[in-house]
Order: sequence, then structure tokens, then C-alpha cells
Amino acid sequence: MTDQDLLQRYNYDEFVPEKFEQWMRFDESPLPGSPAPDFPLWKMEDQSETRLSAIWSAHTFTIVEFGSFT
Amino acid sequence: MDALAEKVAEQGVGSIFLYTHEAHPGEHYPHLTSMEQKFWHAAALREVYGLQRPILVDALDGACHRAYGSMPNMTWIFNRSGIPVYRSDWTDMHSVANAIDYFLDVAQRRRERERLAPFRVERLDYRSQDRDAFYAGLERNGPRAVREFREAFG
Repeated sequence: MTDQDLLQRYNYDEFVPEKFEQWMRFDESPLPGSPAPDFPLWKMEDQSETRLSAIWSAHTFTIVEFGSFT
Repeated sequence: MDALAEKVAEQGVGSIFLYTHEAHPGEHYPHLTSMEQKFWHAAALREVYGLQRPILVDALDGACHRAYGSMPNMTWIFNRSGIPVYRSDWTDMHSVANAIDYFLDVAQRRRERERLAPFRVERLDYRSQDRDAFYAGLERNGPRAVREFREAFG
């Protein structure tokens, strides 16, 4: 799969099972208690880059809700 | 979730919203094709829904979201060492509040020198379903989002 293919498949253009079901992979996600993968993220306010690790290391516990406008 | 975030902030708990992809794209908020559009949609989320927590935006290819299971509205809790201590395939304030209360109590017991060993537990939690609010959100996305959801789930 090329980067462009991935971008188009991940950002699917219509909510139909053949396009959204492939992304429902919660069972394959990291188990609680195991080290979590780190990724770059961007702050909405100023678009500056940070990392998920910078977020979780700032507090005793950090709640991360994933979602979008739609 | 904003109310919970405000409440637990006093106890050293951070809260963020991580912007992913459009689960129900429509005419008004279509699928994402650029980071510029992704930032714009994230700003609209704050403006329209009044979200108060810091919003962090994932890469356009959803690298972070995909690594954590890419569910549309899941919640994770991490400890300071980057270990996930809670993962939920959907977001429910009561479930998250219950988990945070438990973990804060664990932290207190550790401070009191109690010897503790971790173990994994699975549990079925329950979330309230506000179908009217959900459909109002779909209509905000555009008529196509309503139609496609009805066709997928009736």
C-alpha cells in the first residue's frame, strides 16, 4: 500500500461498511500494562509539534479521548 | 468529559482530546485531504461543541489513532511512564471517572507503602445513548452522513 493509498483509505469519503470496518481494530491495540507506542502530534491552537509521550509524562495520569467533529 | 477533566485536574490528572479522522463525513464536513483542513475541523469542534480540553491533532494518515485501534470515539488513560492503564473502545464519562477514582486510590496506597502488583481485568461497561443528539450531529455533518448511517445500521 502506498502512502497515498493509506491516506485515502484511512480518510474514507463515505460511511459504508467496506470502508470503515477495516479500521475497527481495538482488539489489536496495546494491552494495558504494556509500553505504549509514541507518536508526533500537533497542538490545534498554534500547530506546533509535540509528542504523545510529552502529554502523558506531564501528569500522574492522563485521559486521552480520541474522536473528531463527525 | 470536559466537566470530568476539570474536576480531576485538581488531583493531577491531565486530559486531552486527540483529533483523528472523520467517522461520518458529510457535505459540510467532508473526509480529510490535508492537515490544514484537519486543523480547521478541529477548530470547528471547539467552536461548535464548546470543547474545553486541549486538542491535539494526529497525523493525516492517523498513525497514532491506528496504533491504538482506530475506534471512532475511544478513551485511554496513561500513567506518567507511558503505560496504558485503561483502554475503552467507546467513551463514557462514568466509566472514565470510575477508573480515575480507582487509579488515584492506587497511587495513594502506594504512597502509604502498600505493596501492590498489577493484573489485567476485563469488564463490560455501559454508556447512555442519546439518539436525538447523535442524529443532530450527523445532520450538522451533512445530509449524506445521515443517509449513510441509516443505510449502514437502519
